[in-house]
Amino acid sequence: MLTNSEVASMLSRFPKFEDSYIGLSYAPRMPGHMVKETQEVIAIARKFNEEVANPLALKLDRITHEDPDYLPWDLVEEANRWGFYTMWIPKIFGGQGYNLPSISCFSEEVASVCAGIMNVIGVHYLAVTGLISSGNTRLAKKVMKEVVEGERSGKPCTLALATTEPGAGTDVEEVDLVDKGKVTCQARRVKGGYIVNGTKVFISMGHVSSWTVLYAYEDTKHPSETTIGFVVKTGTKGFSFGSHENKMGQRVCPASVLIFEDCFMPEEDVIFSPALAKKFTNKPFRDLAQRYLDYVVSATRPGVCAFGIGIARGAFEAALRYASTTCVNDRLLINNEWVQCHLAEMYKNVVLGRLAYTEANNANSHRGLYRFMQNKPAYYYLKTMPRFWFDKVISPMLNWEISARVMGKLLFDIPKPEDQYCCSGWASVAKFAGTDLGVKNCQMAIELMGQRGLRQDAGVEKMLRDIKLLQIYEGTNQLNRLNAFKCLIAPAAPQAKVFDE
Amino acid sequence: MPEFNPNDLKPFADLAQSFAAKELAGKVAEHDRYPFGEFYEDVLKKIHEVGFLNAALPAELGGAGFGISALCEILMNLSEADASPAGIIFTQAFSQKILLVAEAQELARDIFSKAASAKDGLIAFPVYANPASTDVLPVAQSNGGDYTLTGRIELLVLGNLARQAIIPARSGIGPSYSFFLVNLDDQNVEKSEPVFTLGLHACPAVDVTFSGVRARLIGKENAGHHYFEKISPEMNASAAAMNAGILRGVYNEALAYSQKREQGGRLIIQWSEVAMMLAGLSVKADVAAMCVHQSCLELEQKKGSCEPHVSAAALHVAELACDATNDGIQILGGYGYMKDYGQEKRYRDARMVQALLGPVPFKKLDIIRQATNTNPNNV
Repeated sequence: MLTNSEVASMLSRFPKFEDSYIGLSYAPRMPGHMVKETQEVIAIARKFNEEVANPLALKLDRITHEDPDYLPWDLVEEANRWGFYTMWIPKIFGGQGYNLPSISCFSEEVASVCAGIMNVIGVHYLAVTGLISSGNTRLAKKVMKEVVEGERSGKPCTLALATTEPGAGTDVEEVDLVDKGKVTCQARRVKGGYIVNGTKVFISMGHVSSWTVLYAYEDTKHPSETTIGFVVKTGTKGFSFGSHENKMGQRVCPASVLIFEDCFMPEEDVIFSPALAKKFTNKPFRDLAQRYLDYVVSATRPGVCAFGIGIARGAFEAALRYASTTCVNDRLLINNEWVQCHLAEMYKNVVLGRLAYTEANNANSHRGLYRFMQNKPAYYYLKTMPRFWFDKVISPMLNWEISARVMGKLLFDIPKPEDQYCCSGWASVAKFAGTDLGVKNCQMAIELMGQRGLRQDAGVEKMLRDIKLLQIYEGTNQLNRLNAFKCLIAPAAPQAKVFDE
Repeated sequence: MPEFNPNDLKPFADLAQSFAAKELAGKVAEHDRYPFGEFYEDVLKKIHEVGFLNAALPAELGGAGFGISALCEILMNLSEADASPAGIIFTQAFSQKILLVAEAQELARDIFSKAASAKDGLIAFPVYANPASTDVLPVAQSNGGDYTLTGRIELLVLGNLARQAIIPARSGIGPSYSFFLVNLDDQNVEKSEPVFTLGLHACPAVDVTFSGVRARLIGKENAGHHYFEKISPEMNASAAAMNAGILRGVYNEALAYSQKREQGGRLIIQWSEVAMMLAGLSVKADVAAMCVHQSCLELEQKKGSCEPHVSAAALHVAELACDATNDGIQILGGYGYMKDYGQEKRYRDARMVQALLGPVPFKKLDIIRQATNTNPNNV
C-alpha cells in the first residue's frame, strides 16, 4: 500500500501520531506487573476511605469552619501510619517505590471522598517531584531519608513546595512570563550560601511540613535566568509562617503564608541553580528552568486531573444514591429517563477525565520524567532487588557528585524538546479537562438533588466548594489552555506567538 | 395598567444601596460566619425598620405595599452586596404572599399588627422545596375546626428565628396538600441547630419535627398547590432578582480587580482572555437584569400568560449566575477562592438561590407540564 517513508510522512503530519496515541506507543514498554500494583493501590485507597476518610471528611470540614486556625496534625499522623508519605518515593531513595502513575488512581479514589484529605497526602508529592526532578540526588536522599525515618518513628516528616508569591501566581508557572512578572523573593549571594528575603503565599501544607522546596531568584528583574531552588527545614532561622488562608473549600489542607527574613540558606541546600546546571550542560539556563518546571507540572497536573475526576466521581455517586432512594410523585427518581441520561452524562465525564490523566501519565512514562522507571528493565530491577541493595550499595552513590551530574545530564541535557512539549501539553490538557469536568459533575449533582444537595451533611455542597480550587492551583485553567496551545498546537502554526500578545 | 418605568424604581434602588453601604459593606464575611459566628440581629432589626421585611405586604396590613418591581429592585441591590439579607426578605415575602393568595388577610393582620419586633413578625417557610414534588410532607389530622401536624420539614428557612411558620402538609391520600400556620414555640415542635448549608449562611434554616402540634389551616384545604402556583411567578422573579444582583456584584468585583492586578508585566484586563471573560460576565449581568425587568413588567401588567416566561427567565438567570460566579472567582485566581474577597460567597449563594422553589430539573419539566397541561409523571 504505502512505503515506509510514506507512512512516516503521513504520521508526522499534524496531529502527529506520536503525540496523539501515546498509550498505544507506550503499551509494549509498559511492565505488566504495573496493573497488579495499581490494583493494590486502588484497594488500599478504598480501605483508607472506608476506615479513615469517610468518617472524617465532613467532620473535619465542619471543625475547620468552627476553628479556622485548625491544622490537620492528627490526619497527617494517620496518613503517615498508612505509609502514604513514602509509598511513591522511589526505592533508591528509601521509599516503597510504587509505580508513579498509580498515585493518580489513588488520588481519584481518595478525592472521591474528600479532596482536602487527598491534598494533605498529595501535596507532599508535589514537593517530592520538585526535589527529585532537580536531579540533585544528594539532597533528595538527605530529605527522603528523614521522610522514611518519620514513617518508622511515627513522627511524620512531610514536604511542601513554595513558588506562588503575593504579586505573582500565574507568572511563576511559566518561564516566558516570569521575567515580566512581579517576583520579590530574592536570594542574595553571600559567602557559603544565600540570604533569602520574601514571602510565599497559598502554600499548601506549609504549616505542617518539615521541609519546604523553595524557589527564589538571585535577580528579581531576570528571574528566569537566576532561579535558585532550595530545601529549607521548618525552624530554620529567618523562616517563619504567617497566617493560613480562610479558603472556601479543601479546608482541612491549610494554605500557608511563608515568610523569609534574612534567612541564610547554605550552599549545600541548593537543589537547582545556574551554577549547578553548568556542571552538566552548556544549554541556556532559561531553557533548563523551563524544562525543570515542565518536569514538575507534567507529573503533578495529571494528578490534579485525578483529584478533579475523584470529585466528579464523588458527585456522581452521591447523585446516584439520591436518585436511587428518592421518590417524586410515587416514582423513584432513577426510573425517570431524564435522570438516567443525567447520570450517564456524569459517568461519561468521569470516564473521559480518567482517560485524560491516564494518557498524560502515559506521556510521562513513555517520553518524560517517569521513563527512567516505568520501563520493563528498570521497573523489574527496582521491584526485585532486595532493600539492602539500595540501602547499602546504591544509597552511598547518591552522595557522589558524579551521580548528580549523570542525573542532570539525563534529565536536562539529553531529552528532546518535542518530548518535553508532549508531556507538558498533555498534562495541561488533562488538568483543565479533568477539573472542568469535575465542576460540571458537582453542578449537575447539586441541581439534581435540590435542597438535599445544599446541606453540608449531604456531602455534595462540599464537593462544589472543593472542586473550584482545582481550576486555580497548579496553574489556572486559562494558563493551562495556553500551555496546551504552546506545546501541542503552536508547533503546527509557525506564525503563532504565545505569551506575547 | 401601570406603565413600567425604570426611573420609578430608582428610589428603591437607592434605598437598598445605601442600606447595603451602611449595614453590610465590610461585614459580609463576618455575617457569613453564622452559624459558627454570631447572627446579625442588628441587621435584621434594621431590615425591619427600613420596611424591607414587610415590603410585599399591603399597606392596609401594616406593610410597605411595594409591587413586584420594587421588591425585585430591593432584592437585586441588596444581593449585589450580600444575598443573605435578601434571602430573609424573600422568605418573608413568600410567607406573606401565601397568606394573601389564600385570602387570609385577617390572619395576616393579626400576625403583623401584633408584631412588636422584627422577630415577632417573621414567618418561616421552606423556600427550597416545591411541596408538589416532595413525597414526604407532614401529615395534618383534622380535629373538628382545628388540625394537628405530625412529621418533618427540612430546611425551614428562618425557623430558628421566627415564632411561626407556614408548613405544607397533607391531610388526605394523594398528592394534594394544604398550608398551615404553626406556632414554632409550641412544645411539640422540635428544631435542629441551624443547618450548615452551602451558602446564604445569614439566612439560616433548621430542620423541624412536629409531633401532633396544633396548626391552623390557611385558606382552603387541599388548595396548597394552587396557592403555590399562583405566587410562583412573583417569587421566581424575586429569585431571579437576587441572582441578577449576585451577578452584578461578581462583575463589578472582577472588573475592579482586573484593573489593579498585574500579571506578565501588565494589568490583567489587558490580556485578551481575561477581557473576554469579563465581557462574558458583563453580558450575563446585563441579560439577567433585563430578564428581571421584563419579568416584572409582565407581572405588573398582569399579562395572562406570563408565568412560563417568568419561570424561564428565573431558570436562565440562575444558570447565568452559577456560570458567572465560577468565572468571577477565576479572574481573581487564588484570591477569589479566599473569604477575604466576595466572589467565593457569591459562588455559593448563587447555587442556593437557584434552588429556591425546588430543584432545577423539576422547574424545567414544570414549564412543559404547564404548556401542555400534562401530568408531571407523563413528561
